[in-house]
Amino acid sequence: MEYILHIVIMICIYMVLVLSANLPVGMANLLTMCQAAFYGIGAYIGTFFLMQFDLPFILLAILVMGFTGLFSMIVSYASVKLKNDYFILGTLGFQMIAYTILYNWTDVTRGPYGIPGIPTIKLFGIVELEGVVGYCVLALAVAIVSIWLFRMIKSSPFGRVLKAMRSDELSVRALGRNTTLLKVQTFFISAAFSGLAGLIYSSYVSYVDPTSFTLDESIFIITALFIGGIGNVKGPVLGAVFVVILPELLRFVGLPDAVAANLRQIIYGVALVVVMFVRPQGLLGENSK
Amino acid sequence: MLQFLINGLITGVLYSLLAIGFALVYNTTKVFHIAASAVYVVAAYMFYTFASVLGMPLPLACLLSVIVTMFVNWGTEVVIYRPLKRRKASLNVMMIASIGLMTILVNVIAMFYGNETKVIDNVIQKTYTFGELIFTTPQMYQLVIGSVVMILFMLVLAFSRYGLRLRALSADETLFETLGYNTNGTRSGVFVLSGAFIALASCLTVYDVGLDPHMGMNVLINAMVAMIIGGVGRFGTCILGGVLLGVLQAVVVYLFASNWQNAITFVGLILFLFFRPQGIAGYKQRTV
Amino acid sequence: MILNLKHIELSFTNSSREVFNLLNGVDLAVPKGKITALVGGNGTGKTTLFNVISGFQRDYKGKVVFEGKDIAGKSAHKIARLGIGRLFQGRQLMGNLTILENMMVASESRAGESPFTLLFHPQKITRKEEEKKNKAIQIFKDLFGEDCKYLEMLDCKASDLSYGEQRLIAIARLLMNAETKLLLLDEPTAGVNPVYIETIRNMIRKMVKERGLSVLLIEHNMHFVREIADCCAYLDDGVIEKFGTTSQVLDDKEVRNSYLGL
Repeated sequence: MEYILHIVIMICIYMVLVLSANLPVGMANLLTMCQAAFYGIGAYIGTFFLMQFDLPFILLAILVMGFTGLFSMIVSYASVKLKNDYFILGTLGFQMIAYTILYNWTDVTRGPYGIPGIPTIKLFGIVELEGVVGYCVLALAVAIVSIWLFRMIKSSPFGRVLKAMRSDELSVRALGRNTTLLKVQTFFISAAFSGLAGLIYSSYVSYVDPTSFTLDESIFIITALFIGGIGNVKGPVLGAVFVVILPELLRFVGLPDAVAANLRQIIYGVALVVVMFVRPQGLLGENSK
Repeated sequence: MLQFLINGLITGVLYSLLAIGFALVYNTTKVFHIAASAVYVVAAYMFYTFASVLGMPLPLACLLSVIVTMFVNWGTEVVIYRPLKRRKASLNVMMIASIGLMTILVNVIAMFYGNETKVIDNVIQKTYTFGELIFTTPQMYQLVIGSVVMILFMLVLAFSRYGLRLRALSADETLFETLGYNTNGTRSGVFVLSGAFIALASCLTVYDVGLDPHMGMNVLINAMVAMIIGGVGRFGTCILGGVLLGVLQAVVVYLFASNWQNAITFVGLILFLFFRPQGIAGYKQRTV
Repeated sequence: MILNLKHIELSFTNSSREVFNLLNGVDLAVPKGKITALVGGNGTGKTTLFNVISGFQRDYKGKVVFEGKDIAGKSAHKIARLGIGRLFQGRQLMGNLTILENMMVASESRAGESPFTLLFHPQKITRKEEEKKNKAIQIFKDLFGEDCKYLEMLDCKASDLSYGEQRLIAIARLLMNAETKLLLLDEPTAGVNPVYIETIRNMIRKMVKERGLSVLLIEHNMHFVREIADCCAYLDDGVIEKFGTTSQVLDDKEVRNSYLGL
């Protein structure tokens, strides 16, 4: 039972991550390679607040999302200054810098040793979350709120302008829309929700270290997004479920661990290539043409 | 200090080789060939197989590895990029597919050879001393072979029409075809040549420091940074950028510590992207 | 005068790193409520001048005065909100949006386009959305007639339309912004078939007559210019060489020689 709940929690965390990646990547066509950096920044900021203060979850979430969102300004600035491949390279650079800092700034992050013993989240300042069940409820709640929110964004005027910006940024500006502001908002929301996922993750496993937030993790999130589908809410949800469930299925087949890890990656790779050939917008993604 | 600079220069030559391999594809086809990192790994393991497993002499092993890698790199074009292009896929889609291919190749290698680090040659290497400078044998090879190959490449570009044809292809593929040139053939040639550069960079590097299946991405990113710093669009700039990056990293290691090397590299990249996206040797163009 | 350009200068560096002056002190006064054509050879900087006016090119010297206010250096979206609408050369509608969405995204009301207002003012946003939709329908009826086919096609993807039809809608879209007073049209008829050129001419005339808009347009179709434009400015060597009524300029000996090649 605990095993299943654990999987549900991981699915929910990845759902939030993939959904927040979908906002810039799928809706505004700004391909980022640094979602794991925000995930990590959120995890570390969350750890800091959990260790230092005794805050109710709502306040904690707002603080973590706000501070993680501030870091997104760097990426927003890059998205205004840089186009296409240069922007991708810029986000890749940001990802590498964030990782190097988390890894090497040992005075604050303890670097490769990680930070153990992160306290559990308290719901209203009093109710401590009881083990896996409690976290499962919390993670589900956060995932549902995210799904609802991203769906609302998609059908809102904001979503419409993002879609317009994806196809013709120049015209959108000529129609009186501040595309810089739109990008800032997009990345803020995306980073904030990635940070929220980081907060739940760090407190759930009660341990963080930088190796969970590498470039490979960013690529993993993008992989999940493109397999599931870009531009809507169904796609990311499917993508998250797929990438979390697959390793567990392979475990049932009974492969040795070393082979299973590589095989899993190979399957992700094959899935990604096949999807790009058959349905470039992802399995459940929205056709942009 | 001088020793550090020379070491940086040699690392830089290796970056330049890989940067040329990446830029050959990027400049002419605009494909963001991330799978080059996996091709780099394949080259390294071919070299390892021929040299250490089959016990061939190193030059022969290197040559065979280069040949195999040319085919592998060409294979990425034939299997992934060309069919995607025929489906009018966007460049982003090609890049995502490239990521998928990279994941596949790297993990297939890891499955066969294991995830641990391997070395090519355990014999203690002879060193050469020039005054106060010390070179190891691999370093000598890296410097000499790398420089000679790049100089030859630049000469070929300068004195043949091949460079012109690459520029024409990058300007407009449809027009290139309409004018009676063979787009697919030229593209294939580009990928084959790129494979040679990737393999050479790979063999020269792993001869010195060993190999593991996950080393490709980091090296490739450094090569991309070298390309950006030098200036996108030409090939000589890759050499400039590579050497500059190598030396810069050596200076950082000398002044601070090696663990900040990556951070400095990417801060450098981002500064370049923001303030001089055309690179050192580029110029600002009219954009309307 | 609705728009005054005062001594606009702009230079570029070309691929051999030579600096050349594209705009060499352009002075131009665009009269209010009239249609002014901007003509000149390829590469003389007509589109660049449009970029200067609408804020896409900001590293120039000189003054741009719109309705008495200096708007030089303002960003493109601010200039658009002040009331300068722009039709780009060769650009079509946003193909991934429906026709209606293309219209709504051009409205002067940006209600609901900031994600943080979505949570707090849902009713207001719904009301505004309804208003935008009705306005789009009204514009179609005004310009294309009560029973035009676009009313049936509001929810079709814009990429389903032909190039010429997309041009028509793109011009109609400029009316969605109630603030708009001046239209910059960059080659409205290029690549459009004769029937639609006729429609475009009627649309532009109607917009000027009924809504009091002023128009500055770039055109290479001299027939179209003669028919529609009240005034004409001839741009050559980075300055306005001739300005006057359309027939004055187009019948000028120098213009006929150097531009029209007659």
